[in-house]
Amino acid sequence: MSKAVIDTKESWIERILKKDWTPYVVFAIPLIFLSIFLFWPLVTTLLRAFLGPGFAMNFENLGTENFSRFFTSRLYQRSLRNSLIIGFAVVVTTAFIGIPMGYCVARVKMPFKNLLLSLGILPIIMPSFIGAFSWIILLGRQGVVRLFLNTFLTPLGIEIPSIYGLFGIIFTMSLALYPFVFLLSYGAFSSANPLLEEAAMMMGSSRWRIMRTITLPLVIPSLGASAILVFIRSIGNFGIPAILGGEQYVLPTLIYFRVNGFWDLNGAAAIATVSIFITGGMLLLQKFVISRREYETISASRSEHKLHTHWAARLFATLYCGIVLLLSMAPNIAIIIMSFFERWRGPYPEGFTWNNYLRIPQVISSEIFNSLYLAVSASIITAVLGCLIAYIVERRRPKGAIILDLAVMAPFILPGIVVSVALLSAFSSGSILALGGTYTIIIISFTIRRTPYVFRSVVASLSQLDETLEESSMISGANWVYTFRRVSLPLIMPGILAGTILTFATLLQELSTTVLLYSARTRTVPIQIFAAVQDGFFGEGAAMSVMLLVTVFIVVYIMNRMLGRSVSSSFKLG
Amino acid sequence: MSLSLTYEGVGKTFDPSGKNPVRALDNVSFRIEPGELFCLLGPSGCGKTTLLRCTAGLESITGGKIFYGDRDVTSIPPFRRNIGMVFQSFALYPHMSVYENVAYGLRVRKVPEAQVRVKVTEMMELVGLPDVLKRNPSPTALSGGQQQRVAVARALVYDPEILLLDEPLANLDAKLRRHMRAEIRRIQKITNITTIFVTHDQEEAMAIGDRLAVLRHGVVEQIGTSDQLYHNPESAFVANFIGKMNFFHGRVSATTNDSVTVETAVKGVAVTASGEKVRIHGDRALGREVLIGARPEQLSISRTKDPHGLPGTVSIIQHLGQFVRYEVQTEGGIAERALEVDVDHLIPDLNEGDPVFVRIDEKNAGVYDSEGER
Ligand SMILES: Nc1ncnc2c1ncn2[C@@H]1O[C@H](COP(=O)(O)OP(=O)(O)OP(=O)(O)O)[C@@H](O)[C@H]1O
Ligand SMILES: [Mg+2]
Repeated sequence: MSKAVIDTKESWIERILKKDWTPYVVFAIPLIFLSIFLFWPLVTTLLRAFLGPGFAMNFENLGTENFSRFFTSRLYQRSLRNSLIIGFAVVVTTAFIGIPMGYCVARVKMPFKNLLLSLGILPIIMPSFIGAFSWIILLGRQGVVRLFLNTFLTPLGIEIPSIYGLFGIIFTMSLALYPFVFLLSYGAFSSANPLLEEAAMMMGSSRWRIMRTITLPLVIPSLGASAILVFIRSIGNFGIPAILGGEQYVLPTLIYFRVNGFWDLNGAAAIATVSIFITGGMLLLQKFVISRREYETISASRSEHKLHTHWAARLFATLYCGIVLLLSMAPNIAIIIMSFFERWRGPYPEGFTWNNYLRIPQVISSEIFNSLYLAVSASIITAVLGCLIAYIVERRRPKGAIILDLAVMAPFILPGIVVSVALLSAFSSGSILALGGTYTIIIISFTIRRTPYVFRSVVASLSQLDETLEESSMISGANWVYTFRRVSLPLIMPGILAGTILTFATLLQELSTTVLLYSARTRTVPIQIFAAVQDGFFGEGAAMSVMLLVTVFIVVYIMNRMLGRSVSSSFKLG
Repeated sequence: MSLSLTYEGVGKTFDPSGKNPVRALDNVSFRIEPGELFCLLGPSGCGKTTLLRCTAGLESITGGKIFYGDRDVTSIPPFRRNIGMVFQSFALYPHMSVYENVAYGLRVRKVPEAQVRVKVTEMMELVGLPDVLKRNPSPTALSGGQQQRVAVARALVYDPEILLLDEPLANLDAKLRRHMRAEIRRIQKITNITTIFVTHDQEEAMAIGDRLAVLRHGVVEQIGTSDQLYHNPESAFVANFIGKMNFFHGRVSATTNDSVTVETAVKGVAVTASGEKVRIHGDRALGREVLIGARPEQLSISRTKDPHGLPGTVSIIQHLGQFVRYEVQTEGGIAERALEVDVDHLIPDLNEGDPVFVRIDEKNAGVYDSEGER
């Protein structure tokens, strides 16, 4: 056939020119960014872990000395042990707090359900180190609640321990992290197929037996997922153990101590490596143990759960949820009171003053500027990068998109302080690209840490978006850049905005990455609060905290008002 | 000037190196003439959408070639093909007005605004919605039929060389569907654009298409006009898919050059298919199991014993206006389902439950391979 002849004449050069290369070019941008600022730093971290102590990258005294400290140093062993104890303990306590709460809100007829669900996420959004700070006010050595309780309990031979130490860390983290368990188990309990339970009920099983043999196995995948999330968060948390730890170190504070106390980045790199392996191991465990047990729990039938209506169940549920909510809100109240006083040791705060607030402009105006500047620029970069990767991974799927997919999720298992160790490893002064002490290195660390959130939120909106809209645009003659700009982008904008604003709100309070990366020039508000608390300037710290809390709260509130409806509204026609 | 559309050995396998590759298209070769309205017909999952998407370039094919006219478009991305497509969901952009939706393809092509206005107005008139532009609402505010028309206008506005329609009427109610298919045919004949129309509704396909292709498991079973497919189906599958067909089991007992005698399961009853219209397909070796196929109007019923008739019992009598349909239950595994016999007039005194004999019009019966499902 003549066509075939024409075709064989077409050279391979022509064929290459005819191909549409734009997807590959765009694919390359995030890949290069991630290679330089994530892969390379992780590689150097691993390298440094085997070098002698110090900041230098010299390969003369190669060895495993950094790791052997886990066998020889009591401080290292205690830190590792503390981290693991805290991780497991917080998983258990959050399960005890969150699962009954999730069950109550899903299955018991009770008032204020929506309020509980929306207030429930506050502890996730609010900075956890501020929570730790306010618990010092309430339960510290001279804490008002502790003194109050002890006056009753001492005669009985019981004494409430002070908040410093492992107990306090576990307590505070549990209150900061239980919402994950609460919200996920609420989701599981309210979506688990009620028909299964009804069937069991008709066969004469008791309620408890149904719970044990039907309901729990169905919700276990969600519970497992939330447990892993809580574990990873708790052993990666820096702020709470840094404020409440005292003599008790954990891996993140040990890393901080190693870098700031000993000037030993290589040693810190080894600790960071260990911590990556622990979280990585937990994730694998989840993949192989828990996800295998996934059942179909979401039923097509819209059968409603029968709610418990017994007065005792309702009373218990209301009281229980109320107390948990009160406990997780109490710190905010304490910190607001504290911010108007000079001291609060003993039963009453003393020395009412406006000064804590009035001094803010002089003391931390440059920190406020830095915080805003860093959070805004990082949010914008994060939004662009997160969108781009989400679009490539979700829609274009060139070979190798899986690398992006994995890379962008990696920071989920990397604690903030580990990210900063990695960035310092690659870009501290002396390396090819020296970024130590600059705004840039903080912006990069923010970007690396937060891209997953925007990514997820955009992937969620993209998967809501009918793909034929984009295909239809291509058919009309638009290449995919044009299609993205005119069709996809406007339609996923609510998702992008939601992800970006949430990112902005969390970046304003970021402590664990900045604590190793800041310099005199780039100090931020959270750093300033952290320093104030450590130096005992509680009033000043409280005023700054209130300012931060209010800002974050307003940002999140505005986002909810603006996007609440449009986020959930579907993009599909008809 | 319209283009022809040629498929040369087109194959498409989804997930070819994965665990369970799906072969959606297998060696599809045929040609659609310039200006033709061509229907792709077949049951769910047979690969109609896949063939359409491959034609558009939305899926890359894993074998063969596709030509628009003389141009090999096999490796050309969709946006360089100059085609129009209407999706089953219409895929109208909810964030743009109706005007902007229709103008989209022109904006992409950087057509000056004055011309855009002219073109869009012209198209909206063609699809019968000139008034909608006055209010120019969001497409979400339109009814299903209006959305459908807007989608057609949007696909035609930039004068594409090929128009692809994937079950464009599936989202409309039955009455509107019949109206819109006439509309689509009218518009297609005015614009004279080579068009593929995908549907799984055989009535729709026969009503609208100049020619149709029946697809099955990714293979083209038969291509032809609706008349050819109805009267000369080449396989039991096509015969059953286009219109109604009754099948009888039997064994070949004698053959000549232009006839086949088939012994049915009823002792002594044989059918000799012969005559001009008879199509005898496949291997006709003696003793081979085959199917005899006859349309409902090619069967007749008698109440008296007929040596060439198949015995059975009337199970249902339906008056269907123009004709009467008798459903006859046969015995002894002659046919798998109840036979449907259409006659012009009600047979007096024949009631449900009465024994009857069904006779096949031998001049019109077809003989088909019994292999493969129907
Ligand atoms: N993206 C895909 N990945 C894997 N398999 C696919 C994909 N798209 C279609 N298939 C398979 O290819 C076959 C043909 O599908 P196709 O959508 O073309 O059928 P269809 O004839 O359009 O059916 P329907 O009438 O239901 O729309 C089916 O078996 C389907 O499961
Ligand atoms: Mg289809």
